[in-house]
Amino acid sequence: MSLVAEAFVSQIAAAEPWPENATLYQQLKGEQILLSDNAASLAVQAFLQMCNLPIKVVCRANAEYMSPSGKVPFIHVGNQVVSELGPIVQFVKAKGHSLSDGLDEVQKAEMKAYMELVNNMLLTAELYLQWCDEATVGEITHARYGSPYPWPLNHILAYQKQWEVRRKMKAIGWGKKTLDQVLEDVDQCCQALSQRLGTQPYFFNKQPTELDALVFGHLYTILTTQLTSDELSEKVKNYSNLLAFCRRIEQHYFEDRVLKKHSRWYFQEWLHRTET
Amino acid sequence: MAAPLELSCWGGGWGLPSVHSESLVVMAYAKFSGAPLKVNVIDNTWRGSRGDVPILTTKDNIVSQPAKILNFLRKQKYNADYELSARQGADTLAYIALLEEKLLPAVLHTFWVENDNYFTVTKPWFASRIPFPLSLILPGRMSKGALNRILLTRGEPPLYHLREVEAQIYRDAKECLNLLSHRLGTSQFFFGDMPSTLDAYVFGFLAPLYKVRFPKVQLQEHLKQLSNLCRFCDDILNSYFRHSLGGISPAGQETVDANLQKLTQLVNKESNLIEKMDDNLRQSPQLPPRKLPTLKLTPAEEESNSLQRLSP
Repeated sequence: MSLVAEAFVSQIAAAEPWPENATLYQQLKGEQILLSDNAASLAVQAFLQMCNLPIKVVCRANAEYMSPSGKVPFIHVGNQVVSELGPIVQFVKAKGHSLSDGLDEVQKAEMKAYMELVNNMLLTAELYLQWCDEATVGEITHARYGSPYPWPLNHILAYQKQWEVRRKMKAIGWGKKTLDQVLEDVDQCCQALSQRLGTQPYFFNKQPTELDALVFGHLYTILTTQLTSDELSEKVKNYSNLLAFCRRIEQHYFEDRVLKKHSRWYFQEWLHRTET
Repeated sequence: MAAPLELSCWGGGWGLPSVHSESLVVMAYAKFSGAPLKVNVIDNTWRGSRGDVPILTTKDNIVSQPAKILNFLRKQKYNADYELSARQGADTLAYIALLEEKLLPAVLHTFWVENDNYFTVTKPWFASRIPFPLSLILPGRMSKGALNRILLTRGEPPLYHLREVEAQIYRDAKECLNLLSHRLGTSQFFFGDMPSTLDAYVFGFLAPLYKVRFPKVQLQEHLKQLSNLCRFCDDILNSYFRHSLGGISPAGQETVDANLQKLTQLVNKESNLIEKMDDNLRQSPQLPPRKLPTLKLTPAEEESNSLQRLSP
């Protein structure tokens, strides 16, 4: 959007308070949604919970096509539609709610840098695993992505999306990576996050910020999604402070809501198994 | 460890040891960590590949891509991050990701996609260093690769037109530069007094943007306003690359080229000095008479440097 259009939208956004009927759209939870989209959706939900803004989650098979940028999730607030965590954070800020106001300039720079790190490494690794790893593609992704559509549309759409994602991977230099290298990158990223978090409750000490929401979204989804192999979640499980972080946010902000029934069961089962 | 490490990369110009960001990152890291690197500049003979530059060759290995090369150097005990804490190491990764996501598209655009810049500066420079007939094909391919990367990573709806994508990436790049400037503050390097990997990356991305003379310069203008980043680049150039300024070109290079480089460097130094003079004039008007003697000294110093360079 041009600067003028953005300023205009911000002004409209600032004019109205947050309505009660704000909705968040994502794909169908049980059958269709994929790892990366689930992570993004969870991050936005966590962020809105942290800001104490009520939101209703609605699942639609064509959420991806409804979204203005083609990415899920997107929120429908009043008469505006905003997609992806970055623009949503700005939109919420225009309405007067912000989690990162208390940070100084250097901390804000750090926060943005870490968010880019998560997007650059974790999200790209998730996309790689979903769309470029043959085993996962064959067993999980193709079936899930095309599930709401009849034959042959389900195959066509799945292949089209796969071709798109593979083209993007090649453009950024991930096309030639092997799965092991990708897992190593995930490990490096988790190590960096773990070292940054240290023993603090949140990344910027006492108060959660959008970085915490983003990291929670990705890590929780990785930990609780069943894939063909456990390698990805094993990488995250090596870092106990990240696990404690996920648990803390889940207990604090999602206790009264049903996140994803069976995924939560997996998480608690796993915790139970490691604790005893 | 004593095995000779050879780096093949794109050559230099405009006062830089290399014009290519990734090559510059590797060179800077090698200087910071003390790795003895023999630099082979790609010239217009058929020697050496032009594919995945920069490439590090040792007796047994060939390593490409800056991240892998840096890892390799670290394994060979040339580690510039020795003094960093774990958290600073994590910060390094995060800031490098920020650079690649926010700054790199705009740098690629300035060099390879912006028509004025590409046809007047980038293409002739690279074509002169690639043998015919590859010089007709490779620069075009690199340009298409850059445009492809920008469009695939940033050109998603609702930005349908290239102009909107351009506006967005330049805005992101300016924000990134501001963030880097805030983070650097007044210290000499990003983590205290010793340069580290992050300094190498930032230098590699910023220095070409800062030094290469382009017709269309909006990002360069923005960078020049952030004086601590400019000071950062100049410091590294002066401390670590003074002797190799221009001395990388192989012996067969025409003297006309060398003279042109010398002239360009002189003009650059003069314009930098004039800018500094301007700044000083604005701050303290009574100083101007004293500035003139220093103006005379530095060209002479520059002369002696260039003379040193011409006789290896």
